[in-house]
Amino acid sequence: MKFIKLYLLGLLLLGNTLSASTESEYELETIAEGLHSPWGLAFPSEDEILVTELSGSLRLISSGGLISEPIQGVPEVLFAGQGGLSDIVLHPEFDSNKLIYLSFSETDPSNENFNTLRVIRAIFEDNSLRNIETIFLATPLRKTAAHYGARMLFMNDGTLLITSGDGFNYREQAQYLNNHYGKIIRINDDGSIPEDNPFLTTEGALPEIWSYGHRNIQGIAQNTEGTIIFENEHGPMGGDELNIINPKLNYGWPAISYGIDYSGALITPFTEKKGMEQPKKYWVPSIAPSGMTFYDKDLFPQWKGSLFVSALVPGDVRRLILEGEEVISEEILFEGIGRIRNVITAPDGSLILATDGKNGKLIRVKPIE
Amino acid sequence: MYKNILMFLATVFIVTFLLVSQTTVTNLMWLSSLDMPVTVSTIFTSIAHDMISMNGSGAVPAAALVAVGLLIAFAMARLALIWINISRKYAYAIAGGCALLAIVILMPLAFYNLDLIAGARSATGKIYLIATGALGGYYFGLNLSKKEN
Repeated sequence: MKFIKLYLLGLLLLGNTLSASTESEYELETIAEGLHSPWGLAFPSEDEILVTELSGSLRLISSGGLISEPIQGVPEVLFAGQGGLSDIVLHPEFDSNKLIYLSFSETDPSNENFNTLRVIRAIFEDNSLRNIETIFLATPLRKTAAHYGARMLFMNDGTLLITSGDGFNYREQAQYLNNHYGKIIRINDDGSIPEDNPFLTTEGALPEIWSYGHRNIQGIAQNTEGTIIFENEHGPMGGDELNIINPKLNYGWPAISYGIDYSGALITPFTEKKGMEQPKKYWVPSIAPSGMTFYDKDLFPQWKGSLFVSALVPGDVRRLILEGEEVISEEILFEGIGRIRNVITAPDGSLILATDGKNGKLIRVKPIE
Repeated sequence: MYKNILMFLATVFIVTFLLVSQTTVTNLMWLSSLDMPVTVSTIFTSIAHDMISMNGSGAVPAAALVAVGLLIAFAMARLALIWINISRKYAYAIAGGCALLAIVILMPLAFYNLDLIAGARSATGKIYLIATGALGGYYFGLNLSKKEN
């Protein structure tokens, strides 16, 4: 019996040694500060970062940390509540076509009581945008300035996923296919509908819908092969989720949830139902997950194959250690630097963190030299 | 004075219960429409959960919100009754309705149009909640009148 206990203790210690990261392995370097609520990050070159500020500016950070003046040509955004200039992704062939994609909330020009999520694409050249085209507009319009989703990801097949939140007041709509509330949208790079979308022939369904039953997706990433799409979404009070997304599936919100409403009321007494997907992981209490990146570089070999989820509350990054599609353990990293809005893998293999707030920072996580 | 305080607390309880149970029941009605297994037992346990949780775990306790709203509205009704000749029960009913009207209209304005009380998201829900405030005020005014008679 004693031998078994010692053996189990040994396994436990070995496991911790294998999975835990120590601060002696990395250091944090502030590469830019004074940003107004940085949100989306992208790398137009090895040593430059394009960063969106929720307040409506797009800026270019050079390798020396120099922050550019706002990029010209960015449309006016609705900066209110959780809305503003949100995500940015580069076209898979950005090096040749210079196309970037921006998601943002905007007031309806014909009725200022309403707003929505818009996605545009534009050519980024000489620190300005030109040839701006709208490629997605979430409908119906909403009165609330919350739960836009607004994350984007180019899949390996060249199609674009856009997360569209439930708008807070319209949560039940996430279960219906005739609207964009609480959905993941899949479109081609020009906004057209891919011919293999799952609801293309479903009567009454919007053909751009990829999956449904989501709340407010704030992080989306894929593994190296592009065979697994991960997303994280804010639950209400408790019930933040990590899901693996597959087309046509219903992720349950708000019919099933592990959280309760901010008022304390039950949103639903149910946590599971046949035909509705279970999360791969959920957090109670909430961590307010934000950005997410799948780490597949060599700079931190011990992190290779992990999923990193930034969290606004209390402010840290969760390294999720995966075995196939399952999360087998979680490690909390980079505590004490405030609310973290985004985490992204840089081309050199370092991690870039964006802290939230009016004096937002970009922080590089790199090995100790 | 002592009886008035008890009556006020009873009014707060009635209005809070009606507010909470409306949120619970409208949620369950929608879930039922999705073929979720909502039973009679689910209804009672959910209402009990929400009565406790909406007054203990939520961002703002529902009873406190209702109490503050009614207190301000009833105080104004009491003042108005000095100058306006109207039955107390109707004066307090109007005040109660106004208190809930303020809660369901003003709260969203402070939170980017978000309705934090789920039952207040629809126009029907808002009207129902205003009616519960009026009912509570009517009950309060009626009992004050009885006492003075």
